[in-house]
Amino acid sequence: MKQINILIFILLTTILTAQENTYISGSFESNSQLLQDDNGLNFNAPSDNFRSNNYFQLDFQNGKILYGVQFESYLPSALLGYSDVFSNNSEIAQYYLKYQNEKNEITIGSFYEQFGNGLIFRAWEDRQLGINNSIMGISYKYYPFENIEFSIIHGKQRVGFDYSNSVISGINSDYNLNKLLKSEELDISVGLGFINRFQNLDAGFNEPKNVNVLGGRFNMFYDKFYFNLEVAKKNSDVLANENIILSQRKYDGTAIQLDLGYSRKGLGINTSLRRLENFNFYSDKLAEGNIYNQQTISFTPALTKQQDYLLTNIYVYNAQPRLVVNNLEKRAGEIGVQNDIFYTFDKESLLGKFKTKLALNFSYWGSLETTFNEDQSYEASFLGTGKKYYRDFNLEIKNKWNRKTSSIITLLDLSIDKGVTLGGPVGVQGFINAKVGVIEINRIDQKNRNNRFVVQHLWSKEDRKDWLGFVYELAVSNNVNLFVSDIWNYGNDNDIHYYNLGGSFSKGATRVGFNYGRQRGGLICVGGVCRFVPESNGFYLNLSHSF
Amino acid sequence: MKKIFFLFCFLFALVSFSQKQIPNITISDFEGKNEKVHNLLSGDKLTVISLWATWCVPCIKELDAINDVYDDWKEEINFDFFAISVDDSRSQKRAKALANGKSWPYQIFFDNNQDFKRALGTSYIPQTFIIKNKKIVYQHTGYQPGDEEYLFNKLKENETN
Repeated sequence: MKQINILIFILLTTILTAQENTYISGSFESNSQLLQDDNGLNFNAPSDNFRSNNYFQLDFQNGKILYGVQFESYLPSALLGYSDVFSNNSEIAQYYLKYQNEKNEITIGSFYEQFGNGLIFRAWEDRQLGINNSIMGISYKYYPFENIEFSIIHGKQRVGFDYSNSVISGINSDYNLNKLLKSEELDISVGLGFINRFQNLDAGFNEPKNVNVLGGRFNMFYDKFYFNLEVAKKNSDVLANENIILSQRKYDGTAIQLDLGYSRKGLGINTSLRRLENFNFYSDKLAEGNIYNQQTISFTPALTKQQDYLLTNIYVYNAQPRLVVNNLEKRAGEIGVQNDIFYTFDKESLLGKFKTKLALNFSYWGSLETTFNEDQSYEASFLGTGKKYYRDFNLEIKNKWNRKTSSIITLLDLSIDKGVTLGGPVGVQGFINAKVGVIEINRIDQKNRNNRFVVQHLWSKEDRKDWLGFVYELAVSNNVNLFVSDIWNYGNDNDIHYYNLGGSFSKGATRVGFNYGRQRGGLICVGGVCRFVPESNGFYLNLSHSF
Repeated sequence: MKKIFFLFCFLFALVSFSQKQIPNITISDFEGKNEKVHNLLSGDKLTVISLWATWCVPCIKELDAINDVYDDWKEEINFDFFAISVDDSRSQKRAKALANGKSWPYQIFFDNNQDFKRALGTSYIPQTFIIKNKKIVYQHTGYQPGDEEYLFNKLKENETN
């Protein structure tokens, strides 16, 4: 396999040198850690205490033909908390050849794609989360007229340096009805997508070989208002979790998401409602519940505000789309809502003079209201909520006091189910209630350097109780910045500091970042998808460059 | 393995010094209408492209800061400003509300499955580019208060070049 990869690579470079009009671009990213024992954290560094994830991406374009490779190296092991499927590998992980003209786009090899909002299908890469679920196969896009788009995909999903044991096929189309409507203010578009997974497991459970998901979308914009609806249905399948088929009974799944909004200059309002019932879809049905987010087909991230401060992202919500029927817990999915309001005070008003900007966010997520029967069947009500999983309220006030000084005040009040945030059965262990306050001040000093101060506190009577944190960051120049931070969990008998110091250098398309210190264990979430990272101590280095 | 590594290094060295063309990727606007990036650029007029996301605090800071001085800049320099969100579907709807709620004067676009970000080889945001004749003439990763003045100077430099 390796040799084939090398051959392909040599072939590509030969084509490259033979043609003068070839346009080349690419990037390199390297993230490494050197771990060390830390008695205070009860952390013992693994024997392979140096770990490194490296990505080289090269793309070539010659007129209508594009091709490229991505080389990945995880030597000697992938970073702590990444799936083992990557470890100890160093290979060309992906390659593609693509032809495109005005109306057609055909790709052979690895590709990323999403249908609509990704609810039924999203193939993507997130290096921070260790996700690369691209499809290896063929993709064809056709744009017969302006406002109409068709796409077809067929292939196997990537798992580490291998492929999933199923075949994924899909078709999607989007229509924009603008031309028909001939309206300045009204804009409507509709879309329909279909995904089939063929997997022959022969596990003796009479499990369906073909499972289909169908999704429809309706988007309407009228003047300053918008209304987006997406619904999806998954055909019935056996229940599986972490490599085991749990039940011969087959269950289908559904998803509904509605976004409503209004916005004008100075005011933006958005509401997202979503209901997921048994709506998990993986390229391997046995991959259901894997903690590394490998082999996902559907994309159902948590719809809550993504937190950015050290103490506001300790208790984060993770979406709960699963159907679970066992003695410990019974649940069928999640239902909830997220609201956002953004407001900027008028320039002439008193608060406007200090450039006051407000952001409010509120969300509530809970289980579906469900009755489970003795034969493992269940009835779920459409709109009722069962147990609370998560609730939060966020307020952010931004001000610019003068040319040199600005501030951000953030308040967060939350309540989260212990099972959701700490692990274990969900909906039976009780809640963690917490309040967090953050004050950030940015001040440009006489040498024209920005000084960033952050002070934050978390109040809680549950779990690890109270925390205090601070960050100081100095922009030494336009290219260099240094920081020192600490979060101190002092509310417990066993108080503990998570200190860090580091910095970064960036110029043009190059960035080098480093830090030394303690990593707090817990969920790291990017875009609502979360990965669990264990506590660790060490030195971390990140390099990236693109051309 | 080593051979591949060295080949990559060699290619890097070879092309690292050339001015990069901006890739012609399809992005979409507020209403979900698709547009190729090249169709948005007009000749040698300067264009600033900022890759941002709702969950990226320095990105929002940068766009807020430029908003505060935007009118002054416009008086001095003729340029376009596109703020391209790499938010995924989770936060894309929030992005619309946020951009309007903050009274940003920029044209907002969405890089739906991060195809544009990937084609640019961007690992960290905010990443801000100055484009002229479809070529990247300046780019910077990250934002610290005060950086916007540096960007303004770079715009002035490139306007006369």
